[in-house]
Amino acid sequence: MARYVIRRLMTMLLTMLLVSIIVFAIVEIAPGNVARNMLGAFATPQQEESMRQQLGLERSVIVRYVSWLFGSDWQAEPKVGLPLRETVSQQGLVARSREWWAVEPNGDLVQWDVQESQLIRLVRQPDGSTHKQPADQDWKVDASGQAYFWGVDTGNRAAEWIRGSKTVEYTYDYSGWQEKVDAPVEYIPLSKGLLRGDAGMSLRYKEPVSEVIGRRITNSLILAALAFLVSIPTAVLLGLIAGLNEGRLIDRIISIAGLITAGSPDFATGILLIMVFALWLKVLPGAAVFTSKSAILKDPRLIVLPVLTAGLVEVGYVLRITRSSVVEVMNSPYVRTAILKGLSYRQVVVRHVLQNAMMAPITVIMLHVNWFIGGLVVVESVFGYPGLGNFILNAALYKDVYAIEAASMVLILLAVGTQLIADLIYSLINPRIRYT
Amino acid sequence: MDQSPILTLKNVAVTYKTRKRDVDAVRDVSFEISRGENLGLVGESGCGKSTVAFSIVNFLGRNGRVTGGDILFKGEQLRDRSEEDLRKLRGADISMVYQEPMSALNPSMRIQDQLAESLIAHRGFTKTAAFAESVDALKIVYMPDPEAVMLRYPHQLSGGQQQRVLIAMAMLNNPSLLIMDEPTTALDVTVEAAVLDLIAELQERYHTATLYISHNLGVVARVSHKVAVMYAGEIVELADTRTIYRSPMHPYTMGLMRCLPDVDAPKGTRTLHPIQGRVPSPANLPAGCIFSPRCELAQPECSLQHPQLVEMAPGHQVRCLRSLDWKDAKMIWEMEELAKEPCPHRADPNPDTVLNVEQAKVYYPVPFKTVGGIFGLEKRRYVRASDDVSFSIRRGRTLGIVGESGCGKSTLAKAIVGLEPLYAGKVDFLGLDISKPVDKRTQATIKELQMVFQDPNGVLNPSYSVGDQIAFSLRRFKTVPADQVHAEVERLLQAVKLDASYYSRLPRQLSGGEKQRIGIARAISTNPAMLVCDEPVSALDVSVQAAVLNLALEIQRSQNTTMILISHDLSSVRFFADDVAVMYLGRVVEIGPCETVYRPPNHPYTTALLAAVPRPDPDLTPSHIRLSGRVPSAVNPPAGCRFNTRCPFKIGAICQQQEPPRRDMGNGHLIFCHYTPEDLGKLKA
Amino acid sequence: MGTENPATAKQIHTAPSAALTALKGYWKSVRDLAQVIFASPTAVIGLTLVILWVLIAVFAPLITTHTPFEQDYKLVNKGPSALHLFGTDDLGRDVWARVAYGARTILLLGPLSVLVAFACGVALGLPAGYYQGWVDEVVMRILDAFMAFPAILLYMIIISAVGASSFNVVIAIAIGGTPGIARLVRALTMDIRTREYVAAAKLCGEPDIIIMLREILPNCRGPLIVDFLLRIGYAAFYIGTLGFLGLGLPPPTPDWGGMVQEGHSHMTTNVWPVLCATLAIVTLVIGLNMFADGLREETMRYQ
Repeated sequence: MARYVIRRLMTMLLTMLLVSIIVFAIVEIAPGNVARNMLGAFATPQQEESMRQQLGLERSVIVRYVSWLFGSDWQAEPKVGLPLRETVSQQGLVARSREWWAVEPNGDLVQWDVQESQLIRLVRQPDGSTHKQPADQDWKVDASGQAYFWGVDTGNRAAEWIRGSKTVEYTYDYSGWQEKVDAPVEYIPLSKGLLRGDAGMSLRYKEPVSEVIGRRITNSLILAALAFLVSIPTAVLLGLIAGLNEGRLIDRIISIAGLITAGSPDFATGILLIMVFALWLKVLPGAAVFTSKSAILKDPRLIVLPVLTAGLVEVGYVLRITRSSVVEVMNSPYVRTAILKGLSYRQVVVRHVLQNAMMAPITVIMLHVNWFIGGLVVVESVFGYPGLGNFILNAALYKDVYAIEAASMVLILLAVGTQLIADLIYSLINPRIRYT
Repeated sequence: MDQSPILTLKNVAVTYKTRKRDVDAVRDVSFEISRGENLGLVGESGCGKSTVAFSIVNFLGRNGRVTGGDILFKGEQLRDRSEEDLRKLRGADISMVYQEPMSALNPSMRIQDQLAESLIAHRGFTKTAAFAESVDALKIVYMPDPEAVMLRYPHQLSGGQQQRVLIAMAMLNNPSLLIMDEPTTALDVTVEAAVLDLIAELQERYHTATLYISHNLGVVARVSHKVAVMYAGEIVELADTRTIYRSPMHPYTMGLMRCLPDVDAPKGTRTLHPIQGRVPSPANLPAGCIFSPRCELAQPECSLQHPQLVEMAPGHQVRCLRSLDWKDAKMIWEMEELAKEPCPHRADPNPDTVLNVEQAKVYYPVPFKTVGGIFGLEKRRYVRASDDVSFSIRRGRTLGIVGESGCGKSTLAKAIVGLEPLYAGKVDFLGLDISKPVDKRTQATIKELQMVFQDPNGVLNPSYSVGDQIAFSLRRFKTVPADQVHAEVERLLQAVKLDASYYSRLPRQLSGGEKQRIGIARAISTNPAMLVCDEPVSALDVSVQAAVLNLALEIQRSQNTTMILISHDLSSVRFFADDVAVMYLGRVVEIGPCETVYRPPNHPYTTALLAAVPRPDPDLTPSHIRLSGRVPSAVNPPAGCRFNTRCPFKIGAICQQQEPPRRDMGNGHLIFCHYTPEDLGKLKA
Repeated sequence: MGTENPATAKQIHTAPSAALTALKGYWKSVRDLAQVIFASPTAVIGLTLVILWVLIAVFAPLITTHTPFEQDYKLVNKGPSALHLFGTDDLGRDVWARVAYGARTILLLGPLSVLVAFACGVALGLPAGYYQGWVDEVVMRILDAFMAFPAILLYMIIISAVGASSFNVVIAIAIGGTPGIARLVRALTMDIRTREYVAAAKLCGEPDIIIMLREILPNCRGPLIVDFLLRIGYAAFYIGTLGFLGLGLPPPTPDWGGMVQEGHSHMTTNVWPVLCATLAIVTLVIGLNMFADGLREETMRYQ
């Protein structure tokens, strides 16, 4: 059993590694690249070039992949020659700002800048402000006599300045293009990497992706858990009733209902439910836009339709699987043995049918988790529900790459993890696996 | 002893609803079983035997029901009883044992719970009392270590053990009537013999009235007192066992006897008489006597009038219009048989060696269980399907390879034709080294070495017509010019006794025997020097087996083809082969000409195999040499002699430590055993 | 020459009769299929729905009074009227016309994307199942990774990276469908490769490619046909969903999902465009599912 768990964990790791490559490849290598998407069609080639430099897009694909997954601080540390550290400070109510610093031997946190060909040290003060110090003595000289310096700039990047290079850095903000001379010639955008919980900055929200995901995922999990809790018992019960009454009218009705709910696209189910309950009967709200963090608690009616929509598709699917599994078990030779042993119908069903008939649905339900999660994305966008799915959709529409990448990885990890757990549960209830 | 019948069936008819119309699967079935009596119900598959059994407990599924006649149990009508009444009888006073023990047990319940619930349901036992009673029941069926077995799940038991559990379960509540539906068909022959011993012994001890269903005449001869022969839903003959076997009167019964190969009759002394055609489906019964289209003795009136079951002698009922005409018909047929010359054999006086197998090993790697295995941290383990096998075959001779399932005989055959890679060893064929798999052999070698397969449903590709499939082979080997392919296919079809109209038929339109013939036609289309037949008839009904065996024999004799026949059936090997090799757990334990191997002295395993063969003769006293235990794993075969864990004549430590030496019994007869040839002769079967 | 004659004569004689029997066999299998379909009420209902939509798609120009692009600024977001059978949308376009032409879009792109997916799935699954070993291991690991994606997420990522167009939607859905088909083909191949007729073909010295294409692939067709039908249903499902999410076909292409998306915000004033498009997609997808499902159950019963 322990062996089995380890083997499954290893395959899951391998799958996730491949998934990360696929996600990264699709998002970053695809034709329309990040800088273009950010800047629109009117940027000059110089401006685009500078942006690409700053975003680290000039690095090779492999370096970028490794940095995305494992971070880039450890790559930059040898160049700067000092350990690097990220600080987090609260700004306002929700947003927090993250900044990278080099740690000097005396414990000072420093960044650097070059202004009018002068290298300047920016030492972090306890109140969060910085203290400027000229640091021209820190320039280093390479073999050809060129003065250069590797440090951390004010934009959370490790950067190399070359004295007198006159490199121009373009930045783009609400007031338009900004130009800065004496900029670094090379950048390494600093991050801890996805595996250490740092998914980069959202290009759209201008805050760390992991922060947003953290907030959104709770909402999604609430929705998913409620939908699961409502739909699975209903589905299993209906499937059991249908399967035990194979071929009768009640079976036909349940089966057809299952086919219809399982077959309808989530958005269509959602729209039809909105029409009935929100527009026609006017008993439930047609959207689940949260006005505050605790909106669900204040008005639980908000979540009723999303749960119903996400659940209905699942009900249809699971009941059909349960039904066919029950039918198969009911026709099996060992149930025949049980009946001809003289057990009552109830005993046959409870003792012989239930456990065996539940095995197929458990695996299938869990293999279906992907589908379910995909459904959540759609349901959330139908109702404007502030979950992870809605977040990904918006990220996809705005081409917010880091957000897409990180959120996809989280969703897939959830899917694969659930499947792993389901697999283990399955092996626990099936003695044929448990004892071999 | 009370001789009033326990079970009486009177003119029972069973009808199934199908999509098109109602089908009478069973018609006019009547018989009685008294206390202590065992009635055997025999017939080919599709004759309605199981339907009769399930009609007694009214378990015919959603579509089936009893539509006529009476079913009396201890004098009381069972038909149209309420489900609750039947429930009280089922498993208590009437119990059943089934064909596939593995699937008849609940895979996710421990044996103890499956046994106990029957006692709890019918007799209100407490759990502990039920446990004790169940252990006793397991002891009665000679289950080794019953307490441990109680805690296991079905998949942890061997097939023989599972069947013992089911028999124990059936006996738990001391039933008055026991219905056994092919209880030993799924088991290996040595296990079957032991289970039959058990059934016979329980019969003696408990005098339970038993309905025993089987297609195997040998098995029924062993356990039954009376035999009812069923054909296409009707009983055609009913008599006590001796009468049925000694003087059958219905042509179908006679046909069933005459198509069986006899394990005691050497090659060339007998021809088999197949029954032509096949059992009609109940939806399409012929007019008049339902057997008339297949009956060699049918007269025109047979297809006009449906015969009734007539009592020809006290207790001997026959359903045949002509039975009065030939009280001694069997004698007529026997004389006919004597007059027939066995096919002439065109053998060379001094044949050369065609195939030489030396120390052949076929190993399958066991899949790694840990991730470490992939990186070479786990030692590779192998299933030693065939280990150090050596033999040679001369031109025109047939080598039979026998052994129980899992002994490696099929694997060896596949390695010879190149469908499995050889792990080590050497195979020479016509002087060429063919130790490599088929995709590395030349077309010329492949052409000379062909194979006939086991499963008639897998032999032909369902997507192409029969003729096309034979033509594929002809075109590939360019056996005949392209414009003659069609004619050549028709010639081959004729060679396997099928007419040219079969060319465009699809495999699903053929019966099992016909598919097997096409398989043979395809194999001989290349005119091979050697043909390897892997269980060519084991999936066929007995009446069809005979036809296919006869055909293969005829081809061998006319072409002087060298053959290997893989079979678990010692009787067909005796009928077909010149030499025989006995395999156990990947090793050849005995090899030699049939005349000597089928006679003592033998290797102890061969002795046990021969003792286990069910013979269609009620007067033979069964041998008591039985094998215990289960076949060890081929991944970790026992050290020393591989048979030592089950050998009834084991000497002692030497068997566990040393490889058995080769004992030359003369005339090419070799035995691998620690006993000397003289001592082997003294071992009493 | 004399001995040659009878054989050739026979061949001439038998060739047309063989062709005739082949034709009869073909006709018989068509009849068998019809029998199977009509034995299942589910399949019949499903097929009826599908045929209905196919007819609407084919005859769209004949059964509509407007083109799907005509905008009538005087009639915006109106309910059904004599002029517009199911009303107009927020740009004053005829809802019925957009639904009818939308059927063309979905019935064209759906089967197309599934065909592409099948080509890829067979090309990957057949060798993987036949050779097994490391070929299989590598292919299946990669496909597993693709299958770990919730389908809609994979489509979203792809479309967001390459942009929305009919071509890209087809490609995305084909990529999403390939792993499942490859797995099915692989499983079928692994089963069929152990059949004895495959061994017999090997004993004819046939090369692997012939064995895969001639002996194995044709015998996968039953499950593959059912799967194909099911997948057309899924494809329609996802094309609709992508349209709804704003990642489908760029406007003004008549697209059911897109219609729901556009009408969504006007639902309180005019429910018709959303209702019609929703019902259209639901009936089509359920029709396809019912047809495939009924067919599957009926063919399973035969086995």
